Amino acid sequence: MAVAAVPAGGIAGHIHPEPQGFVRRYVFSLDHKIIGIQYIITAFVFMVLAGLLAEVIRTQLLNANGGFVAPDTYNEVYSVHGSAMVWLVIIPVLTGGFGNLVFPLQIGARDVAFPWLNMLSFWIFPVAGLMLFSSFLMGAPTAGWMEYPPVSLQGAAGTSMWAAAIFLVGVSSTMTGINFVVTILKMRAPGMTFTRMPLFVWGQFATAPLLMIATTALAAALAALFIERQFGVPFFDPTKGGSPVMWQHMFWFYSHPAVYIMILPAFGIISEVLPTFSRKPIFGYKLIAFSSMAIALAGFMVWAHHMFTSGLAPFLQIPFMIITFVIGVPTGIKIFSWTATLWRGKIHYTTAMLFAIGFVGLFTLGGITGIFLAAIPFDLHVHGTYFIVGHIHYVLVGGSLMGVFAGMYYWFPKMSGRLLNETLGKLHFWLFFIGFNGTFIPMHWLGMLGMPREVATYDPQFTFWNRFESFSSYLMTFAILIFFVNVLWSIRNGKRSGPNPWGARTLEWQIPSPPNYYNFKHIPTIYGLPYDFSQPLPYKGLEEELTDSPPPVAAGAH
Amino acid sequence: MSVAAIGADGHDGVDQLYVETRELRLQGFLLFLVSDCVLFSSFIFAYLYLRNSGQGWPPPGIQRLDVGFAAWNSVVLFGSGATMHYALENFKHGNFIRYMWFLLATIVLGAGFLGGQAYEYNHLIFGEHVTWWGSGIFGASFFTLTGMHGMHVFFGVCYLTVLVLQSAAGVYTKGKYFGITAGTLYWHFVDVIWVVLFSIFYLI
Repeated sequence: MAVAAVPAGGIAGHIHPEPQGFVRRYVFSLDHKIIGIQYIITAFVFMVLAGLLAEVIRTQLLNANGGFVAPDTYNEVYSVHGSAMVWLVIIPVLTGGFGNLVFPLQIGARDVAFPWLNMLSFWIFPVAGLMLFSSFLMGAPTAGWMEYPPVSLQGAAGTSMWAAAIFLVGVSSTMTGINFVVTILKMRAPGMTFTRMPLFVWGQFATAPLLMIATTALAAALAALFIERQFGVPFFDPTKGGSPVMWQHMFWFYSHPAVYIMILPAFGIISEVLPTFSRKPIFGYKLIAFSSMAIALAGFMVWAHHMFTSGLAPFLQIPFMIITFVIGVPTGIKIFSWTATLWRGKIHYTTAMLFAIGFVGLFTLGGITGIFLAAIPFDLHVHGTYFIVGHIHYVLVGGSLMGVFAGMYYWFPKMSGRLLNETLGKLHFWLFFIGFNGTFIPMHWLGMLGMPREVATYDPQFTFWNRFESFSSYLMTFAILIFFVNVLWSIRNGKRSGPNPWGARTLEWQIPSPPNYYNFKHIPTIYGLPYDFSQPLPYKGLEEELTDSPPPVAAGAH
Repeated sequence: MSVAAIGADGHDGVDQLYVETRELRLQGFLLFLVSDCVLFSSFIFAYLYLRNSGQGWPPPGIQRLDVGFAAWNSVVLFGSGATMHYALENFKHGNFIRYMWFLLATIVLGAGFLGGQAYEYNHLIFGEHVTWWGSGIFGASFFTLTGMHGMHVFFGVCYLTVLVLQSAAGVYTKGKYFGITAGTLYWHFVDVIWVVLFSIFYLI
């Protein structure tokens, strides 16, 4: 009995016809692909705003005595820049954005498990983002993206708005996490066993529990901060018996897993792009998949390595240092596997591939400085300096954001049916790559020389490298401008891609671009891993996908 | 070749669009409870952390909490857990009338617990002048955690009331009663949280 023989109308009485009105189709849509695109667009809008804040920071630092904005404004600017980039850009675009857009297609599902919840998650997110930026109107938070008390307790009214906004983003993330876990556990197509799932799905599967569990811990910390600020209920104020270090524990118990929320989906993107453009099976499929899970698990046990200078007992510091070193092992396994995938591959230097290779290099640098920072003596030396700023930007920009760009060039045809322009794309990559390194490499030695972060002025001896960084950051901004021009131009004028412009083998490329709202006419059956480029495709039941046969909507369905 | 023969891992829901089956909802709801549990755990961690960073507990000037009354109140809440369990069992076995009685008993006991908590708060606030914001970390942790739990009980009572009305209107049938399962799981969850809160506030 062949699975593909289930008639189109079989269970398909459950498939509702596509909604026709603009609002139900594109605004309050239940379709995971539309919601994914909504996430991506919204996150890019917030990226422009937060990126402008970054340029305010760099312009301020052109001169040793600042002068571009007032020091208090500078504090507001870097606090909102960090918060927005983490919670409104990187996390939403990688989970809600690419996660929604791609992984249900890759597991052969018609949608996520809870489409209505998915829509709700999305619509909370722009509201929360506007709340965060509106904090400028009432005095934005000034204690950095970490908002350590007691400074955050004394901050302007916007700090409470900040806490409320991040709380809401957290609610949205938690719902997304629940939705994704259930979808991956329950909605896989027949034959899609765990060890046949594409690695992007594994990335999301490792991330979703973090979204679901860690984010709630942050919600508790934010609620406590909000309550303390608004009602004077003491949690963190040491003069009333509270403990500021407790905030650090609660915050980092979330925010350390959060850095894996921001990188594991990007690992997934890279693990799709590299084999496709090397025309080679991914090296060490299971190692990459399981190391994602290992990183997710160990990520809960290392939060206090952010607190080595906070007066933690020494017998606690050593285990946190050791476990942090241990996290380098699964990460190293991934780096080696990706490198081995490239080895003797037939490499196609498309823009997506350039970003993926750039990711491997830059993320490795960021990861190595992370290992430096795990060592307590080194961390004591550079804590609160620009070394930290350099490190986090290497993993979040050189890692996550490069992954986002690789994903954009790779899946843009799936979203729109058109290719992004490759010439503009390569210009984007090279300018971004040069600008990025020029901006963030000098931060490492400035930090080791003792230049403190989050301060509006600096010692004049650092002027040269700060100017160098600022001008490099303008180059990076220009590169991102090229990217936006490319996207806007290609939506209308890009070359038509056809269903599978890259010759990729995962399921989403076997159906039309953009896919129909019901994704698959027949749910396919999966017989093997998607990465064996020498073998025929391991799918059955996809024969009608690219033909004009009618959609699987039962006549007279609701 | 049948799906089973290829080591299928497929599930019933895959061919559907915009239909949330009972299985999906159950798993999603359990995960919601997990994340809710983390929320409580974080505040419990905060309480224990603060408690151990000060000089002794309860802090100077504050009486120990009254275990006796709270213990009776806990019995009321645990009793409601039992009645909720029997409500679900009776529904599954088709005893609709007994299901309704057990459900109503759960609501009454839940409301009784809330009444007891209101009495205790009243005594603390107006009798001993212990307030949420004015009694240092004791007031902060006690009222935040028990208040959060009380809110959960309150929402539970509201939800069970809706269940009564829905059941009377015939919304739930023998094959389709996820709303009742969810209510039961939620109610047991709230009970379990109370076991922990009672232990850490009143016993230790």
